[in-house]
Amino acid sequence: MFEVRFHGRGGQGAVMAAQALASAAFSEGNYAVAFPYFGAERRGAPVLAFTRVDSKKIYRKTQVYEPDFVVVLDDSLLEMVDVTEGLKDGGVVVVNTRKKPEELALGENIKVATVDATGVALEVLGQPITNSSILGAFAKATGAVSMDAIEKGIMDIFGNKIGMKIAEKNCRAAKAAYDRTISADGRPREKEFEKKPKWLPDVKELPIGGAGVKMETNAGMIGPGSFLENKTGGWRTFMPIVENDKCVACQLCWYFCPEGCITMVPYDNNRFKKGIAIDLDYCKGCGICAHECPTHAIEMKR
Amino acid sequence: MSIGIKDLPEENLFTAGHTACAGCGAAIVVRNIMKVLGENTVIYTPANCLLVFGATYPHIAWKVPYHHVAFENTAACATGMKRALNTLGKEDTTVVGFAGDGGTADIGMQALSAAAERNEDIIYVMYDNEAYMNTGIQRSGSTPYGAWTTTTPAGKVIKGKELFKKDVAQIILAHNVPYVATASVGYPQDMLKKVEKAKNMKGFRFLQIYSSCPTGWRHPTDITVEIANKAVESGMWTLFEAVDGRMEITHRPKERIPVQDYLKLQGRFRHMSEEQIRILQNWVDKKWDRDSRLEKALKMLDESTD
Amino acid sequence: MKRVVTGNYAAAFAAMRARVNVVAAFPITPQTFIVEHISEFVNDGIMDCEFIRVESEHSAMSATVSASATGARAFTATASQGLALMHEILFTASGMRLPIVMPVVNRTLAAPIGIWAEMNDVMPERDAGWILAFVEDNQEVHDMVLQAYRIAEDNRVLLPMMVNLDAFILSHTVEPVDLMEPEDADRFLPSYKPEHAYLDPERPMGVGIFTPPEYIQEERYQTHAAMEGSKQVIKEVNDEFAKMFGRDYGGLVEEYRMDDAEVALLTLGTVTSTAREVVDNLRAEGKKVGLVKVRFLRPYPTDEIRSVASRVKAIGIYDRAISYGVGGPAYIEARSALYGHTDIPISNYLAGIGGRDVMLSDIEFMFNDLLKNAESGKVRKELVWINTRGVEQ
Repeated sequence: MFEVRFHGRGGQGAVMAAQALASAAFSEGNYAVAFPYFGAERRGAPVLAFTRVDSKKIYRKTQVYEPDFVVVLDDSLLEMVDVTEGLKDGGVVVVNTRKKPEELALGENIKVATVDATGVALEVLGQPITNSSILGAFAKATGAVSMDAIEKGIMDIFGNKIGMKIAEKNCRAAKAAYDRTISADGRPREKEFEKKPKWLPDVKELPIGGAGVKMETNAGMIGPGSFLENKTGGWRTFMPIVENDKCVACQLCWYFCPEGCITMVPYDNNRFKKGIAIDLDYCKGCGICAHECPTHAIEMKR
Repeated sequence: MSIGIKDLPEENLFTAGHTACAGCGAAIVVRNIMKVLGENTVIYTPANCLLVFGATYPHIAWKVPYHHVAFENTAACATGMKRALNTLGKEDTTVVGFAGDGGTADIGMQALSAAAERNEDIIYVMYDNEAYMNTGIQRSGSTPYGAWTTTTPAGKVIKGKELFKKDVAQIILAHNVPYVATASVGYPQDMLKKVEKAKNMKGFRFLQIYSSCPTGWRHPTDITVEIANKAVESGMWTLFEAVDGRMEITHRPKERIPVQDYLKLQGRFRHMSEEQIRILQNWVDKKWDRDSRLEKALKMLDESTD
Repeated sequence: MKRVVTGNYAAAFAAMRARVNVVAAFPITPQTFIVEHISEFVNDGIMDCEFIRVESEHSAMSATVSASATGARAFTATASQGLALMHEILFTASGMRLPIVMPVVNRTLAAPIGIWAEMNDVMPERDAGWILAFVEDNQEVHDMVLQAYRIAEDNRVLLPMMVNLDAFILSHTVEPVDLMEPEDADRFLPSYKPEHAYLDPERPMGVGIFTPPEYIQEERYQTHAAMEGSKQVIKEVNDEFAKMFGRDYGGLVEEYRMDDAEVALLTLGTVTSTAREVVDNLRAEGKKVGLVKVRFLRPYPTDEIRSVASRVKAIGIYDRAISYGVGGPAYIEARSALYGHTDIPISNYLAGIGGRDVMLSDIEFMFNDLLKNAESGKVRKELVWINTRGVEQ
């Protein structure tokens, strides 16, 4: 049996990739299951999906804790999530990145494979949708399934969901990614991944009735107003760059920001001139501020 | 002078760190409405995106008291909250229910109609993103004609929703409540004015706020506001208010843009045939005509009988 | 002050005496008079509460839950279909640990549609996390509504509570009830000041938050522990009430002529009352029969039922509902409590379904059957359908 954990963001199609991998393995005569992390994550938020493959029927219904392989659809996740958590010795991490595997320090006794799946997707599909390309990389890096099988898996899952023509394109993307994937032995981490503490009260500590009471815990504030503890800046792909020289302090961006992470600040030590400051801890990079700015003082950059 | 963007306080009573999708229209609506309503407010949300992105235990984006019970009972729960506050010496606290279009136009209609009939002293905000987004984009009674949703897919035979959008604001208007208004995330001044007006009135107040949804409508996250603008400029969405039944259109596009200019920005309409677009344009024309006639009829409502 | 009143009046009157802050209710036969009486009290200015005349039981329970979550003492009442319509929200009330009190006039749940006494409305709600009390006369209706607030609002409990009364047999029947004076009620029941759930802008709190798996299991444990803990509180409140007003209901169960009984019949609701007379008659014939009035199905009086079983040779359970494919719900509960604690015969008697009258002779049959079981040491018939055409009983 082998187990795979996919790291992606809501909307990147991690679940579809996991399903296509299961279908691929099934086409080779295996038994395979794929499932999402059972949550209610929104578009952009880090999400997980899993595939489990065996030569015989799989009875285990638990989530995957010690994967053989890890697939990372978005390299910005490497800083947010401990992608190698629980990864078995000798396991493989497949990352969508422009970097070479040697450039990533994800730990020893593992293999790291990289591919610019976004580049491949833009080339072949015309869209930065990487959930098919990454499967080609997976086949190359792990050898756990054949490229033929990956194509069958994509035709099955993508074909049924979004049409055969687009599925065929996705197969081409996967093949291109297969050819461009390179692997190397993992390098030791430069520093240990800092795991965010979690508040896990016992039955005596938990407020009764599940009430959301304001209090300080080992994991920071909880209760009303405490969502500030959740830094959503990591969801961002595009970053707003502000030129406060152009800002006329109309406050439209301040109003339209869905996060409320823009503040009006004094600018240039001039008490009559105001500009904006964007709290990148929370900015999800939606780009509304840039789009609505009447003086084009904000630009979205990768 | 009514309230404007620059009059809003800096503090967010609905904080950052919430988990709405990037570019969420509802998040813009809720965050700014809270700035108008202020701290002496108690919130109810039914099952909707806002329930999930506004709080996931133990974290909460709301700085004010916040309550959820179920999906179909926003108006009943808000009623219970308001009546309880009355008995606890807190008559001045504003109670607001923030429900989506599914929780309002569909499953919540019964409790809503009853609370409106009883003229409960609550504000009911329907943030309208035209489908059940929380469960993954299924059609609601508020989904427009032609729109793709996961339950009105663009199939080989049937493409998108075959039925038209339910006019909830007009249904509530027929309940003779003190205040009914529509607003849009694309028209801040208009919305803030209406929220402020609602806040300062008593009795049942209803706001239906058009809130674009990049995820469900399949549009880039940065044009949330632009789409909401085009909805109004095309006549797909009418901005009006009715104080004691006297209906007035609060923004009249100088020249309505073709509905196609609104549709083409969104993936949910991509599959529509020319015939379907013509049908929708026809619906918009008729709706606009009806809204204009209604305004004419209802604007001076009780002057003749005073 | 004693007056001859219906069970519905007793329930409404007790709600008034409990000084409930908010009532949200919807009429349904045979609960209707509770809503009507409250309407009269409110419109006559003798009951000071916010009365929400909602459009459905779903909204009744929703508004009641939200009023309670806001920090008010809240009351509603229902029956049958109405209770079923509330089902979804019943779980919210207990999950949020809201001490709501609700009389339920037990009536047939359709189909077939009927309006008469049957407990198949409340039985499906045994897992909803509500304390379930069952009463046998109108005085007990009145007393239990008041006791219910003391039990439910106790910091060791904080759970909602239903007071179950049989349709028509209590709801529409008048009998003398000692209706409490306001000052006595106030002495017994202080005002409600919640510390765990309220919606107050000066002390913001979230009540009803979307909660991931990391926390719900612990919450469930807490609620279960509170339900277990309510047993002690039920006894304490019973004793205090008895001391103040002279009416002692025995707590979780009441035993009647059980001292040297060879067989015991466990009953719920008004059949208890009729059975007392049957016990007296049979005792007069020298038959050693006894009666156990099961006053609560939640929390279940496990220890008390085990104690009864340890003292008799056969035990029978009366049910006014059927769980298809198993037997009567009260029977299922008792048998589960007794597992591993007894090897005496246990049998189940189903009678009064759909409001059919349960007669003295029916109950006599049950006792005589139990005596036979006691003598043989065997269960003659596990599930006995009393007075059912074409079925041997």
